[in-house]
Amino acid sequence: MTTPTHVIEIDQLVRRYGRTDAVNGLDLRVEPGRCYGFFGRNGAGKTTTIKCLLNLLRPTGGEVRVFGMNPVRNEVAVKSRLAYVPDYVAFYPWMTVRDTLSYFASFRARWNREAERALIDQFRLDPAQKTSHLSKGQRTQVALIAAVCPEPELLVLDEPTSGLDPIVRREFIQTVIGAYQDGDPGNRTVFVSTHLISEFEGLIDEFTIIENGRNVLTLSADVARERYQKIHARFAIEPDGIELGSARVLRQRGKEIELVVNGDAEAVMNRLRAGSLESITTESLSLEEIFVATLQPGGAIA
Amino acid sequence: MTKPGVTVILSYDRWVTDVRFQLNFKSGKPVYLQLVDQVKSAAASGAVQPGDPLPSIRPLAEELRVNRNTVAKAYAELESQRVIETIAGKGCFVRASSSPFRKDVRLKLVAETLDDAVVQAHHLQVGKAEFLRLSEERFDAFEDQRTSRRA
Repeated sequence: MTTPTHVIEIDQLVRRYGRTDAVNGLDLRVEPGRCYGFFGRNGAGKTTTIKCLLNLLRPTGGEVRVFGMNPVRNEVAVKSRLAYVPDYVAFYPWMTVRDTLSYFASFRARWNREAERALIDQFRLDPAQKTSHLSKGQRTQVALIAAVCPEPELLVLDEPTSGLDPIVRREFIQTVIGAYQDGDPGNRTVFVSTHLISEFEGLIDEFTIIENGRNVLTLSADVARERYQKIHARFAIEPDGIELGSARVLRQRGKEIELVVNGDAEAVMNRLRAGSLESITTESLSLEEIFVATLQPGGAIA
Repeated sequence: MTKPGVTVILSYDRWVTDVRFQLNFKSGKPVYLQLVDQVKSAAASGAVQPGDPLPSIRPLAEELRVNRNTVAKAYAELESQRVIETIAGKGCFVRASSSPFRKDVRLKLVAETLDDAVVQAHHLQVGKAEFLRLSEERFDAFEDQRTSRRA
């Protein structure tokens, strides 16, 4: 087998539930060492896609490869190299935190005891506590420890921080950066689906937005922020009929106009300048704003 | 809603008082370049001195909540521009400012930065005379700041 250049490769993935197409022709590539954001609205097909990566669901059509392997045929080889934190975490209620972590460790070839101790301390968890007595935040913390300690090459996170308080969310992200990413940075890939895009903004270096089970937009985060700009202009006299090309007008009231451009900020600004311009400012859209701008009804500017 | 900026004051001697890393995801400038520019301007203004340590990658990435690779990329860029140096087993340190570039290359680099400012002036309808006056004013302010730090 050749060395795979991608940690995740998805080609034309289709997954049907009865007559509903949850995923319908999705393509995606994740390079090693990246933190890849997987964004979409509820029901867009994110969790279904993730379940196909983990062989929790079989694809109806198309191809999925993880580490260059088919997760259905090479289930153990694939799963031994990745870890998964779902949005809802359940443990055996009679086990303590310590028992639970030992139980997880027993399935793994490697287990970083030092990281385990450090994270238990950092999260102020009581190892003797029964898992049935843990809060939602604490359960997610235990799941994160169980995911980081085996030092997997791929960390799959499905809505990991939804429903958690801001402090737990912050610690969660710091743990992904610190305890997980620091080990062997070139070989620590994160694949995260989330609605809390702004919290992960600094972490994401590439992302895909999906809708109705298909890709809508795939870009590097830096390129996206450079390309999508919001322009706010004020004129001395109310302008009429400025030709704005592909720009989308967000608001226009009297002498003021606010619009979003995709890649051609300079051209649009020159057109605006043809009017009696009083002031003009630009700022990049955040990834969350790009998400909204891309999926908002009536206004795809992708 | 996204916070426009993240400010971090790190507890590393000099960095406590003199460098504030401030990331702005809405500036359109790649995050690693924002870090590069902030270290460069701290070094140029004398806020950090040759020999001062930079924060290690992991705590800085954790604090700023940015990808570890982003900080590593910024440090690699700073090293290639000879603003900092890495000492094995010890970390990264600010270098004495001796530009490795020839004069014409240095002028070209400054010209590129000036072009951005000229474009901005054009957008904001700031004329040439005003622009030049402002440039002089900013240059003097920078020199004053350096002198007062040295004193």
